[in-house]
Amino acid sequence: MTSLMTASTAPPPVPGRATGATRPSAVHFDGVTRHFGATVALDAIDLEIAPGETVALLGPNGAGKSTAIGLMLGLLGPTSGNVRVLDDEPHAAVRSGAVGAMLQESGLPMFARVGELIELVRHLSPRPMPTDAVLARAGLTALADRPTESLSGGETQRVRFAMAIAGDPDLLFLDEPTVAMDVESRRSFWSDMRAFAAEGRTILFATHYLEEADQVADRIVVLDRGRIVADGTAASIKNASSSRHVRFRSAAPDQAFLAALPGVAAVDIAGSRVDIATADSDATARALLRSDLDVRDLEISGPDLEAAFLALTGGDRTAATTREIHR
Amino acid sequence: MTALASPLARSGVDPVRAMAAYLGLELRRALRNRRYFVFAIGFPVVFYLLYTGVLQGGGAAAATDPRWPAYFMVSMAAYGMIGASLSNAVPIAQERASGWTRQLRITPLPAPAWIATKLAVAYLTALPSLLLVGLAAVLVNHVSLPAGTWLAIGLSLALGVLPFAGIGLLFGFLFDVTSAQPAVMISYIAMAILGGLWVPVTTFPATLATIAQIMPTYHFANLGWGSLVNGLPDLTDVAFVAAWAVALFGLVAWRYRVSELRARG
Repeated sequence: MTSLMTASTAPPPVPGRATGATRPSAVHFDGVTRHFGATVALDAIDLEIAPGETVALLGPNGAGKSTAIGLMLGLLGPTSGNVRVLDDEPHAAVRSGAVGAMLQESGLPMFARVGELIELVRHLSPRPMPTDAVLARAGLTALADRPTESLSGGETQRVRFAMAIAGDPDLLFLDEPTVAMDVESRRSFWSDMRAFAAEGRTILFATHYLEEADQVADRIVVLDRGRIVADGTAASIKNASSSRHVRFRSAAPDQAFLAALPGVAAVDIAGSRVDIATADSDATARALLRSDLDVRDLEISGPDLEAAFLALTGGDRTAATTREIHR
Repeated sequence: MTALASPLARSGVDPVRAMAAYLGLELRRALRNRRYFVFAIGFPVVFYLLYTGVLQGGGAAAATDPRWPAYFMVSMAAYGMIGASLSNAVPIAQERASGWTRQLRITPLPAPAWIATKLAVAYLTALPSLLLVGLAAVLVNHVSLPAGTWLAIGLSLALGVLPFAGIGLLFGFLFDVTSAQPAVMISYIAMAILGGLWVPVTTFPATLATIAQIMPTYHFANLGWGSLVNGLPDLTDVAFVAAWAVALFGLVAWRYRVSELRARG
């Protein structure tokens, strides 16, 4: 898994050959703020994405993920700050054909066929991918002559993916790409995406599915209420917070005593069941077993991205939104 | 780290080539829409044949007037052309609602090329009505006119339909997906009746006849009616239609700027 090979800090390492003094940059946000009326969708964001990275933009609904992608595509302008894409204005980058995107909730036009839509994007792009390659990658070879009205939700998503890659982009944006897909299409979608990334393209995708971010991305940028609250590999984010858990049963657990044990971040007692979140599970467990407490069924669980995510984005509000099955 | 795709230089796409590809798809889509054939081609041709043959409409005087088949040919050609142009509002509103318009905005197709293509579609889909109602007049009613008159009618209507292509676009921008269809139908039928396309303006009561004078539909059709009488369109009508065209294209451009600025924030 490439995620282990990529450094975890922001800004990320410069891949490949940096020519001259300036490092190539796929996406650059410099103090970017975007308001919608009184709502602050993005709040002074700094972000640097290097060419070749696969980055997940992870966050609950309303965190600012789609706004960030809209800014990168030039569909929106920043209220303040500076956005650069492929070292250019977002508009110019899109115009050059080097950027592909799959937006949320983008329907297909009626009275068109799958193949025609792909051909359209190819004709609009200066250096398109061969038609057969687009169809094969998106799993649409058998559907090229189908009218758009007759497609299922998953097939529609695949057509939208095909349109995103038909221009053979260096940089690909995907906003919640797997929302309408079943488990099987989701799995095959991400395996296509890994192959696409392996060719050295830069991919940035927004998701609120933790396992997608964990399994696909080299780097995860966690957004919450318009701010970046974590930026690193899945492993580094898991480790950064007290995301190990020590669980056991006890006849009379003592909240104050448990909270004072080494490493403990939070104690949750439900009857005889105790769940301790800890930054140092070894020390916590050792102290627990040395104590006089009647500890039964002791169980230690490893770092958990979901727990880290909940800790980063602050509790129950997030838990509710991230677990919800999207619409 | 995997090998990087070298950021090969990409020259921008040729806007004319891009527009041609987009226009080709849009025309194919328009021709697959059954509604288009019914409203823009079926209705005008059928109405024309009904009211010049079976029913002899247009009042008692018109029924016996030998000029009626040619006069009503212009009325129905204009009627069909206007309907075809206006009905482009509906797919535009649908495409805005579904996000397809936004999807196109993140391709290298320049925004002005998108607008120009939509205008061209609204314009080109209007032309078959002119041709088919004209054919019905010649083949069924044996309408015979001097070559110059045919040319004047054909050219003046073919150019004069432009403001209606503008209205179609503007309605597509202004109305949402549920209201675009009724907005088009109501304004289409009202403008057609008030402009004298169904019943000649000469049979209107005085007030209605005055209202007709400010309808773009009246001046558009009068390009053809005038050509029928004088061999050339009346300059007043040319000026009116041209003014309408300028005003509507201005509104389209303004409306487009507003939505752009709103996004730019």
